[in-house]
Amino acid sequence: MSVSSPETRPALSAPEGAALLAKPDSDTVLEVKGLVKEYPGTRALDGVDLQIHRGEIHALLGENGAGKSTLIRLICGATRPTEGQILFEGRLVELNSPQQAQDLGVAVVHQHFNLVPQLSVAENLFLSQTLPRRVGLFVNWTVIEKRAAKLLDRVGLKINPWTEVSGLRPDENAMVAIAKAIGSDARIIILDEPTSALLPAEVSILFGHMRRLASEGHSFLYVSHRLAEVFEIADRVTVLRDGRRAGAWTREQMSRKTIIKAIVGGDKPWIDDTDGGRQDLGEPVFVANGLTGGRVRELSFELRSGEILGFAGLPGSGAEEALDLLFARSAASGGQLKAHGKVLRLRSPRDAKNAGIALVPKNRHAESLLSGASVRENISLPNLHRFVTDPVTRFIRRSKERTEGKEIATRLAIKMSSIEASIDSLSGGNQQKAILARWLASGAKIFMLNSPTAAVDIGAKADIYNLIREIAASGAGVIFTSTEVEEFPRVCHRVIVFRDGVVVGELTGAGATEANIMHLAVGGEDER
Amino acid sequence: MSASAGLNSSDRKAGFDLPAWLARYGTLASLAALLIVFSLARSDVFPTVDNLLNIMNQVSILGTMAFGLTVCLVMGLFDLSISAMATLGGYVATFLLVQYPDTISVPLAVLISLAVAGAIGVFNGLIVSYLGISAFIATLATGSIITGAMLGISNSKTIITGIPDEFLVIGQGSVFGVSNPILIMLAIGVILWLLLEHTQLGRHLYAIGGSAEASRLSGIAVKRYAPIALAICAGCAGLGGLIAASVLGAGRPQGVGDTYLLNAFAAVFIGASSLRPGKFHIIGTFIGVMLIGVINNGLSVMGVPTYWQYIVQGVLLIIALFSAGLLTMRRH
Repeated sequence: MSVSSPETRPALSAPEGAALLAKPDSDTVLEVKGLVKEYPGTRALDGVDLQIHRGEIHALLGENGAGKSTLIRLICGATRPTEGQILFEGRLVELNSPQQAQDLGVAVVHQHFNLVPQLSVAENLFLSQTLPRRVGLFVNWTVIEKRAAKLLDRVGLKINPWTEVSGLRPDENAMVAIAKAIGSDARIIILDEPTSALLPAEVSILFGHMRRLASEGHSFLYVSHRLAEVFEIADRVTVLRDGRRAGAWTREQMSRKTIIKAIVGGDKPWIDDTDGGRQDLGEPVFVANGLTGGRVRELSFELRSGEILGFAGLPGSGAEEALDLLFARSAASGGQLKAHGKVLRLRSPRDAKNAGIALVPKNRHAESLLSGASVRENISLPNLHRFVTDPVTRFIRRSKERTEGKEIATRLAIKMSSIEASIDSLSGGNQQKAILARWLASGAKIFMLNSPTAAVDIGAKADIYNLIREIAASGAGVIFTSTEVEEFPRVCHRVIVFRDGVVVGELTGAGATEANIMHLAVGGEDER
Repeated sequence: MSASAGLNSSDRKAGFDLPAWLARYGTLASLAALLIVFSLARSDVFPTVDNLLNIMNQVSILGTMAFGLTVCLVMGLFDLSISAMATLGGYVATFLLVQYPDTISVPLAVLISLAVAGAIGVFNGLIVSYLGISAFIATLATGSIITGAMLGISNSKTIITGIPDEFLVIGQGSVFGVSNPILIMLAIGVILWLLLEHTQLGRHLYAIGGSAEASRLSGIAVKRYAPIALAICAGCAGLGGLIAASVLGAGRPQGVGDTYLLNAFAAVFIGASSLRPGKFHIIGTFIGVMLIGVINNGLSVMGVPTYWQYIVQGVLLIIALFSAGLLTMRRH
């Protein structure tokens, strides 16, 4: 990787990089040195350094799986490092519990703010603290109200402490969560994607408050996917990649290009070597025209037989939501959809299935697996109608069901003790294969896959990529989306990129690199 | 907990896994143990064909209702209206027979009363599917409505006179020494077993109970199934009450089903802890029903005061659910 700033070069490997960065002053409130965290089979963090100064807003960037959440868990005491040191105000500490980190002044504000919506703001603010009492018995609400008002005043929120949290705007929610953190004397406030639920106007209110609190000496570690926001608010940026620090920059040194490059790594080439590319693509099988619904606006595309089309975009951009819309899982308010030349009117997932469309949703355990059932039952779930003896009693011919299940499980090389084994006994990769087998057996001609390799180990990922290619090669059309940008160049022939619900660009073949996708997904002009 | 459990399962892969065995066969084993204990204690009275038929006769109404309840619990729906539904089943049939002795025959009265129960079951299901109210609350509400309606129609008076003998045969007759209620219970059991285990409807009910979202995304019209399941359950509850009315020779407008409500739930949940831990199924329910029957009969044969039946039943239910839960916990 080519580097422009002197700080980025040694950061990945050599300790002198850290020495350069850490100005040895008392201003550093939190310092992390050579942090390593190993989980069975994986090294989630591999020697990460990080310094947070007093009154600094420090952004932490990286793709999913880069190690951001592991780092946060270590800093807030949720888990212990395998190696490395954590120093608070220059003092070496060993964090054994979240309580300890809290006592040292670290507070985490999670993405969904962890507030109880049915309780009032005041009750939420002091939820985790011992409440003041009268006669050691009854809660002293007068004192609580005073303290709550004081805290709200400090974060600049003009709301009644007795307002129910469910009635607040998202940015007010965020500020209550921050007030709660400050109320527990937090010096370092970790914000995990706080803006994902916020509108632009609300984001700028939040940022205003953050700047003021930073100037009062509070430090923020700010995790976000939205690069534009990072440029707006961050004093410094640390980028993680594959469990290591890929670079750290001060506000003056940041540029979109270097940061995107650090996030995605060297531009990986088009790896798809098994596929000849687009020349052998067939007829259009799935065509959308101005489809609108939910977040997605005016979606038009043409999916051809044999093609793997990627829907890329940041979380909330509409890429994932488009799949739900196309499967009639959420309602469309306008536009037209055609499959194999025929206009579709889909009112339910059932209609979509009957039109030969398959959806593999993102969350295997909540949305696709039948936990506690056998592999056979999981494969035959959408296909039982093919095994009935007659249309009245609808008895199932189990031997036929079993034979077909075995056949397809063998074809996909699903590792299982038998077709009657519980689906829960299979590895994540094999579970996902069983879900794909379900839809292959259904004879679907249009496959929509949302993060099919999520929670699947590395070896099985390759199997699933191959399987997706085989599905396409057999003449089906495949729409693919993933939370991991690096998968698009590996899997897709063509990628369309979503931002704020609309398609902002299309990338084909060798042009569909991770960096190009990110540039489109992040959006805006290259301001630096 | 997880570490030791992990050790257990790998260490004992080849050998004998006691917790797993207990979760699967514990209830069956305790049923066998009870049979042996009671047989040894009262060898003159307990282990006879007559007493076995007696036990089955005592649980036949409970069994009929518990089998129906199994169907809606498979889908994850609690039906609390079964007690009111049983009262309705018995009262409506006797009411029709007494009010219109010339126009309504016994088969027709039975048919109408079961149809009314089934229709209310469908209504329960529509509330659950389309108003989004939980079955627990919806059936509690309709149960109350039914109870009120029965009291209103009857003026709180029990129907005793004018019930034709053909109706009494349902509960009091027998075929080759086996009483009709036993035969009805077994017939319902077989039918619902076939339905749950071997038809598309049954498989869809299990799928929805397992994961409604996965089922919906597999193209199953999830909303259609609550009315079906609750109608089957209501029909069985109505049939149970109808048998009770026939046995008793009276149409009571209140309280017929109350004794069965808790026992039916107990039987189905004990059933979910045997053979297939964590899953509701007809054979398990049958084991649960028999267990309750054997405890009650055995204890009374031994001269133990009645209140012990309740205590023993409660303790057994907790043990059964705990052992089934143990295996489920370990699986995850």
